[in-house]
Amino acid sequence: MLRQPLTRALALSSPTRVAPVVPAARRFAEQVSVQPEKVEVFIDDKPVYVLPGTTVLQAAAQVGVEIPRFCYHERLAVAGNCRMCLVEVEKSPKPVAACAMPVMKGMRVKTNSDLTRKAREGVMEFLLVNHPLDCPICDQGGECDLQDQSMAFGSDRSRFTDIHFSGKRAVEDKDVGPLIKTIMTRCIHCTRCIRFASEVAGVDDFGTTGRGTDMQVGTYVEKMFLSELSGNIIDLCPVGALTSKPYSFAARPWETRRIDSVDVLDPLGSNIVVATRTNEVLRILPRTNEEINEEWLSDKSRFACDGLKRQRLVTPMLKDSRGNLTPVEWEDAIVAAARALRDCPPDKILAVAGDLADAEALIALKDFVNRLGSENTYTEQYFPTGGSGTDLRSSYLLNTKIANVEDADFVLLIGTNVRFEAPLLNARIRKAFIHNETDVALIGPKVDLTYEYTYVGDSASLVKDLAAGTSSNEVLKRLESAKRPVVILGADQLKTEEGAALLAYTQELALRLQDNLQDKEWKVLNVLQRTASQVAALDIGYKQGVGEALAAGPRVVYLLGADGGVVTREALPKDTVVIYQGHHGDAGASIADVVLPGAAYTEKRATYVNAEGRAQQTLPAVTPPGLARDDWKIIRALSEVSGAGLPYDNLDEIRERLSQVSPALVAYGDVQANNYFAQARALAKSLQKPVSGKLDVQLKQLEDYFMTDAISRASPTMAKCVQAVLKQKTSPY
Amino acid sequence: MSLMKYLALDKVANFFNIIRLNGGIRGSLYKLYRQDEIKDGVLIGEDKFGNKYYENPRYFYGRNRWVEYADQYYLNYDASQVPAEWYGWLHYKTDLPPHQDPSRPKYKWMAEFTENLSGTTGQYTPYSTTRPKIEPWVPKKAGQ
Amino acid sequence: MLSSLRSGVQGLWRVSSRALQTTTTLQHDSLFVHRDTPEDNPNIPFEFSTANQKRVDALLAIYPEGHKRGAMIPLLDLAQRQNGGWLPISAMHKVAEILNLPRMRVYEVATFYTMFIRRPIGKYHVQVCTTTPCWLRGSDAVLNAIKEATGCEVGGNSPCGKFSISEVECLGACVNAPMIQVNDDYYEDLSVEDTKEIIEKLKKDEKPKPGPRSGRFASEPLGGLTSLTEEPTGPGFGLQDGLKA
Repeated sequence: MLRQPLTRALALSSPTRVAPVVPAARRFAEQVSVQPEKVEVFIDDKPVYVLPGTTVLQAAAQVGVEIPRFCYHERLAVAGNCRMCLVEVEKSPKPVAACAMPVMKGMRVKTNSDLTRKAREGVMEFLLVNHPLDCPICDQGGECDLQDQSMAFGSDRSRFTDIHFSGKRAVEDKDVGPLIKTIMTRCIHCTRCIRFASEVAGVDDFGTTGRGTDMQVGTYVEKMFLSELSGNIIDLCPVGALTSKPYSFAARPWETRRIDSVDVLDPLGSNIVVATRTNEVLRILPRTNEEINEEWLSDKSRFACDGLKRQRLVTPMLKDSRGNLTPVEWEDAIVAAARALRDCPPDKILAVAGDLADAEALIALKDFVNRLGSENTYTEQYFPTGGSGTDLRSSYLLNTKIANVEDADFVLLIGTNVRFEAPLLNARIRKAFIHNETDVALIGPKVDLTYEYTYVGDSASLVKDLAAGTSSNEVLKRLESAKRPVVILGADQLKTEEGAALLAYTQELALRLQDNLQDKEWKVLNVLQRTASQVAALDIGYKQGVGEALAAGPRVVYLLGADGGVVTREALPKDTVVIYQGHHGDAGASIADVVLPGAAYTEKRATYVNAEGRAQQTLPAVTPPGLARDDWKIIRALSEVSGAGLPYDNLDEIRERLSQVSPALVAYGDVQANNYFAQARALAKSLQKPVSGKLDVQLKQLEDYFMTDAISRASPTMAKCVQAVLKQKTSPY
Repeated sequence: MSLMKYLALDKVANFFNIIRLNGGIRGSLYKLYRQDEIKDGVLIGEDKFGNKYYENPRYFYGRNRWVEYADQYYLNYDASQVPAEWYGWLHYKTDLPPHQDPSRPKYKWMAEFTENLSGTTGQYTPYSTTRPKIEPWVPKKAGQ
Repeated sequence: MLSSLRSGVQGLWRVSSRALQTTTTLQHDSLFVHRDTPEDNPNIPFEFSTANQKRVDALLAIYPEGHKRGAMIPLLDLAQRQNGGWLPISAMHKVAEILNLPRMRVYEVATFYTMFIRRPIGKYHVQVCTTTPCWLRGSDAVLNAIKEATGCEVGGNSPCGKFSISEVECLGACVNAPMIQVNDDYYEDLSVEDTKEIIEKLKKDEKPKPGPRSGRFASEPLGGLTSLTEEPTGPGFGLQDGLKA
C-alpha cells in the first residue's frame, strides 16, 4: 500500500533521501557521478553545505544544532504534525516546521531567536493542555521527551486556565497485547507508532480515529498489535502513552545500570543494552548499529529476558542412586563428569553444542574433547558435509551482509520465512521493498512476509531449474537482469535429505548471477542460519549430522546447552552418561546425569558470531545465579580434573586460541569479506542431484516465533504472547 | 578500732573465711578458675536454673550483690542467664529478692525466660519475605 | 440547632460532592472506537447491490491505477446510502477489500468525516443548524419543535425509529436562516409551523418541498431587489473618452 507511485514521487516522504545511512563498506560508482550540487544554508549564521532536498532539521544536525521534535524520526516518514521543530527562517513571515521544510539556497535559519523560542514555548503550552501531569506514576518518567523538552523549552505556567474547570481530555486505553501497555490520555498524537506499524512492521493496525479534540490513536476495533517488531513502538513513543507491560512500574531509568551487549536469540546478533538493577536484568533495549539492527529490536530479543530468571540451573546436580537429580557441590559434579569422560573410550565420547553456546565455550569444549582423543563434536543444527562442506566460510554466511540487502534490487528467498527467522533482516528487505522498489520472490511455503512477493512455488526442483537456467519462470529473467540480486537460502532446508543438493543448486544459481554482475564487489549467495551459535561452531570446526553419531551408540554425551531436542534418551544406549552444561532446565537438563550450571548471555563476557560472520561480544550485566559459572571455565576445570588440561587460564588466552583457529572470531564488530565462491561452487558440482521434495519452514506463523530456545521457552511473557496470538486468531478483526 | 583491724589480721581472717565458705582449697581454686574471683557472702536465693545469688554489704556498692552461675554452665555462663525476676535485685532496682516480694505480678501471658540464644543453634534467624529473583529449575523425580 | 445541622449537612455534601463531581464532557456525541453491537458487528455481511456494484465500478474507473484509494469516500458514501443512512463496520471492511487497503485506513476516513454515521439511525436524519445566524433567527424554537414532534433527543433516534436528530454547525445557508437538513434536502426560512408540517409529512413518508419556506426562490431579498435594480451596463461603461474607440 505504501509502495505507490505517489509516495515515491513525494521526495519528502521518502526516508531514503533522508536517511543518513550509507554503508561505508560499499560505494557505487554510478552514484558518485550523479551527485547533485550542494547548496549553502546558514544555521545560526554558521554556513553548511547540504544536498538539495535535505530538510532544515537535518542541515541543523550537521552543524550540531539539535532542533527539538516529537513527531519527526529519522527512520520514519515525515509527518510534521507536532510543530515542536518550528524555527525562524529569515524572510519567512511565519516560523516553519524544520522537519518538513527542504532547504533552499542561502536560507538563513535562526534556531535560537526570540521568535523560535516563543514558538516552541507556545507549542509546549498547547501540548500540555491535555497531557496529564502524572509523571510521578508514569513509566516514561526520566526518559520522556515531553518531560525533557518542557524543561528545556517550555514555559513555567499555562494560560489555559479553563482546564481547571473543564478537566483535561481523557481517552480510553487500548488493549494492544501482552507487551505494550497503553495509557492513551498521555498521547500527544505524534503518530510515530502509526508510521512505524505501517512502514517498518508492515502491520497496518494503528491509525487515528476521530478528529479535533476527539482524535485518538488506536486500532478503532478491538484488536491487538501483534507483530514481531511491536516492542519498538515503546522506544519510539516520545511520551508515556506506550510503555512496556512486563517492565511496568519496575524501575526508573536513572536507577538502572546499562551494559552494552549482544542479543543471541536470533542469528543476527542485534546490539542491545541490558538494563539491570540489584543484579537483576530488568529490560533489554536496542543499541544502534547501522550494520545490523539499525535501532530496532525484535520482540523475542527484547522481552524474553524474563526467561533468564526462570527455570535456571543454579547448582551442579548429580543423579543419585534412585535416579533423581540432586544438588551437589561443584567438586562432586566435576569429579563425576571427569570420571565418566576418562573411563570412556575416546571414540564413544560425543559432544553436542546447542543454540546459545558462545565461541569460547565452543572452542574449549572442542579442544577438550580432542585432547581426550575424540573428534566427535557436533552442533544441533545440520549443515551438509558434501562438497566443500564447512571448509569455505562463504557457503554458510549471509555474504551480502544485512545492511547491503537494502541496496538489492531483487531478492530471492529459498525455503525461509525471514520474518520470523531473522525479523530485522526482514525489516531491511521490507525497507528495500518500499523505498528502493526491490522486488522479492519466494520459493517455499506461502507465508506472510509483510510485503508483497512473487510466489514461485514450494517445490525443490524449482531451485534446480533456476540454477540450470532452464526455468521458464519469470523470476529467472528478473534475477538475470537484476543489477544487485540477493539469494537467501534458509538453514531449515539443509537438514533435509536434499539439503546438500539444494545448497549446491543455490550456490550454482547465486554464483552464476554473481559472475555476470557489473558490480564485482556484490555478493549474491546467502545462507541464513537459524541460531546464534551456528556460525561460530562452524568456524571452529564443529561437525554436522549428530544423528549418525548418535546411532553409533556413544557412552558419554556432553551437551553444551543443547536443548533443541535432537539428542533424546530414547536415541541413546541405556548406560550412556549424559553431561549437560547450560543455563536453563530444558530438554537437555531433563535427560542429564550430570548437570553443570553455566551462564546465560547476559552473565558472561563471550563471543558470538552472527549470521554475517561478524564477531561480537556480550558483556556481563549480572552475575550468574547461584553456583553457575562461565561456560568455558567449567570446561577448563573439567579438563584439569580429567587429566587433559587445556592450555588457557584466562579470557585473553582463550581468545588468543580463538584467533589461532580463525582471526575472524576475535575481529570484534568487523566482518571479513568472503572469497573462494568459485571453489565452493566447483566442489558442490558433484552434489547437484535431482531433487523432488517440497520446501518447508519451521516458523510459519507468529505464534511459532515467540518460543524457540531455552530462554524464550522459560519466559512467561513469551507464553503470554503465544496466547495472545491464538486469541487474536479467533477474533473477527 | 580493734587490734585485729589495726594489724590487718581481719583481712587474713576474711581470707580463710572465704576459702572455707567456698569449699576449701580445692573448691576455692575451682571457683577461682571458673569465675576469676572468690567472695564470701550470704546466700540470698537460688533461681530455677540453679544460679545462686549472694550478698555481702562489706563489699562496696555495685559489688555487694553477685551471682554464681549454676555448675551446669561451667565456663559458658553469661549475664543473660540471669532470669528477669532476679535481674532487678541484682541491679539494685529492688532490695527484695523475688521470693520475698509479695507484690510481684504474675500473669498468664508472661513468657518463660530464655537466655540469649545468639550464636547457638536456637538463635533467631530473620528470613526474607521477598520472592527470590531467580527461580531455579526443579528436576522431575524419577518415575514421573 | 437546626441551623447547625443544616450547615453540617451542607458541609458534608460539599465534601462528598467533590467525589461525585464529573467534569463536563469534552466529547463528541459519537464514539471513536468501535463496539460490537447486535446491529453492527463484523459478522453481519455487507455486499453492494447489483446496481451499486455498477456504480462502484464506475467510481473506481475514475481513479488511475495506484491511486484507487481516492475512491474511498465515494464508496463509503455509496455504502452508507445503501445501508439506510449509516455505515456499518462490515461495509468499511468491504470497502477496504475493494480498495485493497488495510482496514485501519478506512476506519480513519470513516471516523474523520462527520457525515459518515457509524451507528444505526432513523430513515430521516434531521440536522438542525444551531450556529449563530440560525440561532439568532430562532433555531432553538425550531429544534424544540422537532424534538416535540418526533419525540427524539439530539443525538438519538425517535421511538418510532424513523427520525434521528443532530445539532450541526453552519450548513452554509445563513441567508435563509433558520434551516434544517433532512437527509439530502435543505429546508430553509423555517418557522415553527413549517417545521411541524415538514415533520408531519415525513411521518407519512411524503416528501415535503425542499427549499425556502418564505416564498423566496433562493437567497434573494424578501421584498424585491434593493440594488442592481437597473439593467447591467454594457461594455465600455465608465471608460474615459480618450480610450473609447
